[in-house]
Amino acid sequence: MKNILLLAVLTIFATSAAHAYVDDAHSRAMEAATPQAKQGFLVRQEYWAGTLVTKQPSVVKHQLFKGNTYWFWLGSDEDSAQVTVHIYDPKGNLADAEAWQKGNKAAVKVVPKVTGTYYISFSIDQSKAKKNRWALAYGYK
Amino acid sequence: MKLNPLLFFFAAAVAAPLPPPAQQLDLDKLPSQSKVIDQVVVPVPSEVFAALDKLGKPRWAGLIHREASKAKPVGEAPQIALMLGSIIAEGFIAVEAEDTDEVKDIGRAILSFSNAIGVRKAVVRRANSIIEFADKKKWLQVRGELDGALNDVREAMVELNSESLAHLVSVGGWLRGTEVVAEVVGTDYSRDGAELLHQPGLLEYFQRTLAGMKPRLRDHALTSKVRKGLADIRPLAGGDDARVSQKSAKEIAVVAGNLVKAISSKP
Repeated sequence: MKNILLLAVLTIFATSAAHAYVDDAHSRAMEAATPQAKQGFLVRQEYWAGTLVTKQPSVVKHQLFKGNTYWFWLGSDEDSAQVTVHIYDPKGNLADAEAWQKGNKAAVKVVPKVTGTYYISFSIDQSKAKKNRWALAYGYK
Repeated sequence: MKLNPLLFFFAAAVAAPLPPPAQQLDLDKLPSQSKVIDQVVVPVPSEVFAALDKLGKPRWAGLIHREASKAKPVGEAPQIALMLGSIIAEGFIAVEAEDTDEVKDIGRAILSFSNAIGVRKAVVRRANSIIEFADKKKWLQVRGELDGALNDVREAMVELNSESLAHLVSVGGWLRGTEVVAEVVGTDYSRDGAELLHQPGLLEYFQRTLAGMKPRLRDHALTSKVRKGLADIRPLAGGDDARVSQKSAKEIAVVAGNLVKAISSKP
């Protein structure tokens, strides 16, 4: 009976921990989004998330519409992480209108000059952890 | 006061600026130089509507399909999933029109369709919030809740091992959103407005996703129609060139419109 209880507790803990990884990274991204959310940007519920090794540049492709302003917010659950995010237009040209990074949070703003597929490039530049959970969210106005 | 030089060194290291970003991303070398994340977030209809609004506010009230909120679930699961996506998109149109009663009816329809497909529990709170915020005319919040409903429905379907149905919800929403944008642009043409239909990456993604479904779903009569329709829309929505002509916009409106009709018709 004791073993069954222990197994149940461990299972719940393991499940919670697995969710916590993703949620913590997303929470950091949402912290980064707070100023824009207050300015009326609609923050999307769906977001990108995963695990990255340090200094591995990664890219997500995303459809943007000319006329809107977008912010992308990147967060990592690893406190020691230094993350960066930039955006490139459909021809591969840097399209950052504004960008900042602070520890395990970073953000980039873009005002698309054309409608089409954009490339959001991001990386964990420094970290004590070998693998880092990350989450990338965006909002528009 | 004596300062530790090590502290200065540490502070300088922490504050060291990161190297500036590359001015150009070599798209031809993407998979080898950067890991490409194979996850697609489909924009919600209100993103493209927001861009369209900035070009001159369309008469949204006249664009609502009022029968959508009164519709009852018909057909098999793929059809209900497509209808659900289309109804959520209708909600975004009703929000643009700031039509409280219609938005509330759509909130109820979302519940009814979610129930028919076994994900009611996941969306009850969202549907109630849609109704509540619509009553208070808090349109930004309604948009957020419609986005949340879409997300929660899809997540619940994935948890039920129905990832394909989750994709169909997205496709249904995209088709209804595209129909409206194409209709507005086809009637009152502007180059910038028509450019909003240029979505090659999304079209490629939808086509790839539908083609990769299990034969039972991929070859379902309605899914086959949607696949054919997407193949028809793709060349009209522009290739490398973002320009979309008025004629193409009108044709996209017809193709997407016919698919939306097929989605909401009895099999």
